[in-house]
Amino acid sequence: MLIETPDAGLFDELFDENNRVRPHCRMLENWLLESDENLIAEKRREADVLFQRLGITFNVYGEDQGADRLIPFDLIPRVISASDWHKLQAGLRQRVTALNRFLHDIYHNYEIVKAGVISAEQVFANSQYQPGMQNLKLPRNLYSHIAGIDLIRNNDGDFYVLEDNLRCPSGVSYMLENRRMMMRLFPELFAHSPVAPVEHYPNLLGETLRAASLKANPTVAVLTPGRFNSAYFEHAFLARQMGVELVEGADLFVHQNKVYMKTTVGPQQVDVIYRRVDDDFLDPLAGNPSSMLGVPGLYAAYRTGNVVLANAMGTGIADDKSIYPYVPDMIRFYLSEEPILKNVPTWQCRKKKDLQYVLDHLPELVVKEAQGAGGYGMLIGPKASKKELETFRGLLKAHPEDYIAQPTLSLSTCPTFVDEGVAPRHLDLRPFVLSGKKIQMVPGGLTRVALKKGSLVVNSSQGGGTKDTWVLEDDLC
Amino acid sequence: MLSRAASSLFWMARYLERAESQARQLDVSLNMALIDVPEDRTEQLSVPLLVSGTYDDFFQHYEEITPQNLIDFLLLDDQHPASVFNYIRNARDNALHVRGNLSADVWETINRAWLDLKVLQQEGVTESNASSVFDWIRERSHMFRGAAYGTLLRNDAFHFLRLGTIIERADTTARVLDIRHVMAMKSMEEQATQSFFEWTALLNSLAAFEAYQNTYGHSLNPTSVADLLILSHELPRSLHSCLKEIAGLLDQVESGSAQRARRMASSLYANIRFGDTAYIEERGLHDYLVDFLARIQRIAGQIQKDYMGWHQ
Repeated sequence: MLIETPDAGLFDELFDENNRVRPHCRMLENWLLESDENLIAEKRREADVLFQRLGITFNVYGEDQGADRLIPFDLIPRVISASDWHKLQAGLRQRVTALNRFLHDIYHNYEIVKAGVISAEQVFANSQYQPGMQNLKLPRNLYSHIAGIDLIRNNDGDFYVLEDNLRCPSGVSYMLENRRMMMRLFPELFAHSPVAPVEHYPNLLGETLRAASLKANPTVAVLTPGRFNSAYFEHAFLARQMGVELVEGADLFVHQNKVYMKTTVGPQQVDVIYRRVDDDFLDPLAGNPSSMLGVPGLYAAYRTGNVVLANAMGTGIADDKSIYPYVPDMIRFYLSEEPILKNVPTWQCRKKKDLQYVLDHLPELVVKEAQGAGGYGMLIGPKASKKELETFRGLLKAHPEDYIAQPTLSLSTCPTFVDEGVAPRHLDLRPFVLSGKKIQMVPGGLTRVALKKGSLVVNSSQGGGTKDTWVLEDDLC
Repeated sequence: MLSRAASSLFWMARYLERAESQARQLDVSLNMALIDVPEDRTEQLSVPLLVSGTYDDFFQHYEEITPQNLIDFLLLDDQHPASVFNYIRNARDNALHVRGNLSADVWETINRAWLDLKVLQQEGVTESNASSVFDWIRERSHMFRGAAYGTLLRNDAFHFLRLGTIIERADTTARVLDIRHVMAMKSMEEQATQSFFEWTALLNSLAAFEAYQNTYGHSLNPTSVADLLILSHELPRSLHSCLKEIAGLLDQVESGSAQRARRMASSLYANIRFGDTAYIEERGLHDYLVDFLARIQRIAGQIQKDYMGWHQ
């Protein structure tokens, strides 16, 4: 089978700049060269059928409800060397530690604001700041128990953090199912490759959630918005893998500031809620009054300390794109360490000078909503039409504080099955970082790939796909 | 376990059992329509409509009962709540709701049935391939049961799932017996050969023909048929077997303070267990079955009140 070589100037995960295969990827190349096209095509169809049957589908907002779609799965794994992962892991640990420290700080003593590292306005006037979280003591001072950190590899070969997801990061079930699928379709590949396992993620997650409470044997439940949510499959999957109940808002009630599940034998108290419902919808009495997804009184129970929410309320302030530029400073401030992972240079349009720069260089930049997610409402300068550029120019002038801009990074590429054969496509990486008694993660994460030639948007809602992610246990092969 | 989950498991299993039973009714009725004299065909074809309680509904949409109309209406009509298509859709929706309480094997069996059924619906079913589709539906139901028995923990999730299956089954047996017994009795007065087919049809609708031959081994007689379908403790679809399992399951369910459904089931079970043919004959089969149906529905309602509609 032929492999199309990457474009010059881009970093490719398989080939180096001289189009030679990177040493740690040799076994993958051999496999691709030896594989018969028809066999691979057949395996691709088999994978589709299996995913359908497992029910690993997601809903796209704006499409018909119940229109289950598969996220395209690409059979060629993305390989990360042991040495790269080693560095990534240290960097992730450092970053998440600092972010949790930041959250604790801004809801308690405001040291970082007092020290002048971040302005008071940027913290306290941010719509994601939850004054109701002030002075609430949380077990182990943990806010973001589960963090998903989006990384990309630039053409300089370095990993950069694109954004932190500290609210309800999703996608981990795809990481697990992709691995299961690869092992099922190509067992022989694993027999000869030292691929680090990821299958124990649900165990670690369960451990993390139990550690979120100071009770000896806490009752944990997963709170889902319900089966029409785009990530319902994942909620059910994780609940089942951890052996805990999957609950909806209507399954819970609050009595004397304690949270109970309605069970066949009467009420049962819940100590830890792994909630996959946004802050605003958790409690109609405290947040959005029309929310049908939440539990009336939950917030009061939370304030009383009778239930732990994972993640905590109010974590959105720390993954807000307007706070993002300060994360390296947070690491220096709280940990007295130099950041291991790089941040993407960011212009904050709220600042006059930055805004002027952004307006002058719009065709080169990526502009994002400071509080958007899912790849909606962003502008990719080099790909945008004149009209789109003008629209964004207007938006930027009208609401500069709503936007940030970054240089167009060239996401690294990796060989991917496409209609024309095997060709390089851009990808990112989302490792999942668990904070409990200690910080834990499984090697790798979710690799998302943009299936359109040249596209930099990897979001599944925008037609992106996923790959299995291999972290090698050693690079000697 | 969660009350909502118990309810979803219960209904998931009920709908699957209903799909299987409707496929059996259709299969037998379409077959009988081929054998019957033309003037009796409509009566044969109306049985599945009577069992599912959709006779009047049907005539809102169609002028006469033909095999194809019946297939369209009761098998694949996505607008009609009592079609096999919607039974399986509802089962799958409920399964999705309790994905967390199901094993991967059970979920995949149901999900796959649903995916295949959607394809089947697009391709269409006619009289000529209907039988193989009925076989397919019965196989899905067997696979579901097999996966449930083979992979689920014997906890309350399993108990509520079984309760759904068995309550639906008891209900079906009573309805089919009530309707087809009358037809078979009537045919005995008219024609001997025809009556043989009628009794066979009744037994086949409840997967009991071979069991009857095995148990009685002689020509079909009305008392033995009723005896088998109501009082036999060996036949898996008899009212006796169903009630025995219902009472047993309710004994096993972790019940807290809820006892009413349990008491009602045990009392009905005792009636059947110590009942005899003479009593049924004296009372009249139709009356007996109407009373049974009312009681089994009250038990189902009470189960939902006791375990699934828990209120603060």
